[in-house]
Amino acid sequence: MSKSAKPVLELRGVSKQYAGGIKAVRDVSLSLDEGKLLALTGTSGCGKTTLLKLINRLEEPSGGSIVYEGADVRQFDAFRLRRQIGWVMQGDGLFPHFTVRQNIAVVPRLLEWDIATTELRVREMMQLVQLDVEAFGERYPHELSGGQRQRVGFARALAGKPDLVLMDEAFSALDPLTRDDLQRDFKRLQSELGFSAVLVTHDMAEALILADEIAVMRDGQFVQSGTPSQLLAEPADDYVAGLLDTPRRQMRAIAELGG
Amino acid sequence: MNENLAERLNELPDLLSGHVLLSLSAILVGLAISLPLGVFAAPRKRFAAAVLNIAGVIQTIPGLALLALMVPLLGGTIGYAPAFMALMLYSILPILRNTVVGLQGVEPGVVEAARGLGLTQKQRLWQIELPLALPFIVAGVRTSIVWVVGAATLATPVGAPSLGNYIFAGLQTRNWLSVVFGCLFAAGLAVVLDQLIRLLEVAARDRRKMLAVQVGALLSALVVASVLPRFVEFTPPAQPQISQQFASVRAEEGALDDEIVRLGAKAFTEQYILAELMEQVLVDAGAEVERLDNLGSIIAFDALRNNEIDAYIDYTGTIWATVMARDEPINRHAMFVEMAAYLREEHGILTLGRMGFENAYGFAMRADQAEALGIRSLADLAVHAGALEVGGDAEVFTRSEWINTRDAYGLGAISTRAMDATFMYDAVRDGQVDVISAYTTDGRIAAYDLVVLADPRGILPPYDAVILLSPEAAERPGLADALAGLVGSISDDDMREANRLADLERQTPQQAASWLYEQVTE
Ligand SMILES: Nc1ncnc2c1ncn2[C@@H]1O[C@H](COP(=O)(O)OP(=O)(O)OP(=O)(O)O)[C@@H](O)[C@H]1O
Ligand SMILES: [Mg+2]
Repeated sequence: MSKSAKPVLELRGVSKQYAGGIKAVRDVSLSLDEGKLLALTGTSGCGKTTLLKLINRLEEPSGGSIVYEGADVRQFDAFRLRRQIGWVMQGDGLFPHFTVRQNIAVVPRLLEWDIATTELRVREMMQLVQLDVEAFGERYPHELSGGQRQRVGFARALAGKPDLVLMDEAFSALDPLTRDDLQRDFKRLQSELGFSAVLVTHDMAEALILADEIAVMRDGQFVQSGTPSQLLAEPADDYVAGLLDTPRRQMRAIAELGG
Repeated sequence: MNENLAERLNELPDLLSGHVLLSLSAILVGLAISLPLGVFAAPRKRFAAAVLNIAGVIQTIPGLALLALMVPLLGGTIGYAPAFMALMLYSILPILRNTVVGLQGVEPGVVEAARGLGLTQKQRLWQIELPLALPFIVAGVRTSIVWVVGAATLATPVGAPSLGNYIFAGLQTRNWLSVVFGCLFAAGLAVVLDQLIRLLEVAARDRRKMLAVQVGALLSALVVASVLPRFVEFTPPAQPQISQQFASVRAEEGALDDEIVRLGAKAFTEQYILAELMEQVLVDAGAEVERLDNLGSIIAFDALRNNEIDAYIDYTGTIWATVMARDEPINRHAMFVEMAAYLREEHGILTLGRMGFENAYGFAMRADQAEALGIRSLADLAVHAGALEVGGDAEVFTRSEWINTRDAYGLGAISTRAMDATFMYDAVRDGQVDVISAYTTDGRIAAYDLVVLADPRGILPPYDAVILLSPEAAERPGLADALAGLVGSISDDDMREANRLADLERQTPQQAASWLYEQVTE
């Protein structure tokens, strides 16, 4: 653990109130070091997606500040900032009139990479997400299964070699085997390329395995954040303890079935 | 095929060309306005609702009315300009509506994904939103095309040549083949254009370059083929000329050599024949004649006033009521003098003189029915008024001559039915109505054994046919001289017979005019 790494992302007292009056995020602060992965978890509607959108400026905060690579995000042109930050949106958000290939190539094209580099990158990403280039490259999103679409969305987010990746339930629609593979590959890629990531997930096992740090949200606030071992050792309250205990409870239930 | 139509086929290249150019230019400009407007309006809900409402209101104005309204709105210009304006306005709604609906219908998640990946607003529009809305937009364009090509047939009465010429002329001369021909050709044109656009969409969707090129080539070929007749001189086959021996009416040969004369005609048989007669006189004098047929009544006058046509024939009573807005009774000769003075003073229009015959409104009924009921004059109608029905064109019942007649002869109880003038005579012959507001020179009065009821109190105004020259044409002495020979040359009986030849003997207006020319040169 090198504490010398500089933070890629810092949130200071960030809050967001929607036009309807709903306070989706309240006074959240966090710091994410280069190459690290933060898992965000919490019940539905607690503000996880909103927090991600604040980071890539799809929403503007009502208070606090967000610093990306040392500069306030408001100093960037929003569209340039977003090209540097990979985003896997909840649902897949693929462009229905683009083929798989074209979907994955969107950010490289925006970054004006040359055709050969882009083409190479698309192949690389398709291999990573285990989609056969010949079989799937020319298909349209409506010709894919839900899991396949999610993998394309994932490939699209990483294609532009972002420094930071925001993933909103990126692995939720996959079968356990594919998910396992993809999680492993993702981990490998992350350590190779050194990008940082914020991963929203409802799957505590996923959070425990992948994350360097876990933040548990409730009602727009961080209830607790820390390394997986910190959280396991000292859960802040029963809610956190209950969440952390789910993988073990499931294991026990399975063991009992086996007799 | 009937002869009348065979002759008209000569005009097909010109009319088709006019129709295609008018429709396509209206749609292209409509597209250039409605597409950006739709893109601007789609994200602005309230603005979108407002412009769609306005476009919707325009759409509810009947096509013919919208076209006619454009004439005064454009300061009395006739021809291409008002037709283009009206059709262009007509083309906007379907494209605008479909653009707005298509853009608003793009899934919000897809738009958010585009923002999140870093597409700028312009990139989102061109790469994501417009392509996804394209099928809707194309559907709108196709609807527009079908509407506009159909409505372009209504350009005829405002003086823009279109396939509507076949329809309007056919309606007036009861040449149903010509009507059907015009309708079929317009419908065929709409279908062809519609399918070409559909293929273009398929090509865009499936990225089939070859198909796009082929369709593009077809469209350009259509446009070129339409424009060509405007530039290539079409020489009509030499017309059979009648003998040269009567010099009184005939203008001096060569007096108008190479001068262009534009003649107008309203949309009924007598007008076609008279325009044809003037044309023959002028052509004999060496002039080159351009014709603008099927003009609306007021439109013809406006066109003359604005020097857009050089001459046409109108009727004293019509000018008296519609242009001078007078309705007091006056005798035939005084009306002519006052009218001529008024036109010269107010508009610079020269009234060359009376042609000799009168085409008045008269009330006609079947001779046997009139006899059975003992009706000879309008005064005798009153007793039976409650049981009788009068048929007439839509205009007549709003005019003072009907109102004055009704009041003077106590016909308040009589019921009225408006119909196209073409159908009145058959309607009264077949007993569908009892009385009609006939035109006194119509050949069918005698042919159908109708009687025109006497007007003992002199209520009905006189309708002397007069030759009118535009302010500019009035300055061309050769032209006035050439046409002056026709003054006083045509009797009521001659005109009635010429009308009968065209309406009932199925002669072309040209043939009827040649017959008339022979009569007047005798
Ligand atoms: N555009 C919006 N306008 C108003 N309220 C919103 C908007 N987007 C989200 N909300 C509200 O803000 C709160 C947080 O929503 P958010 O989508 O961040 O939740 P989440 O933690 O991602 O939930 P889930 O796990 O179900 O995806 C919710 O109460 C939601 O209804
Ligand atoms: Mg969410």
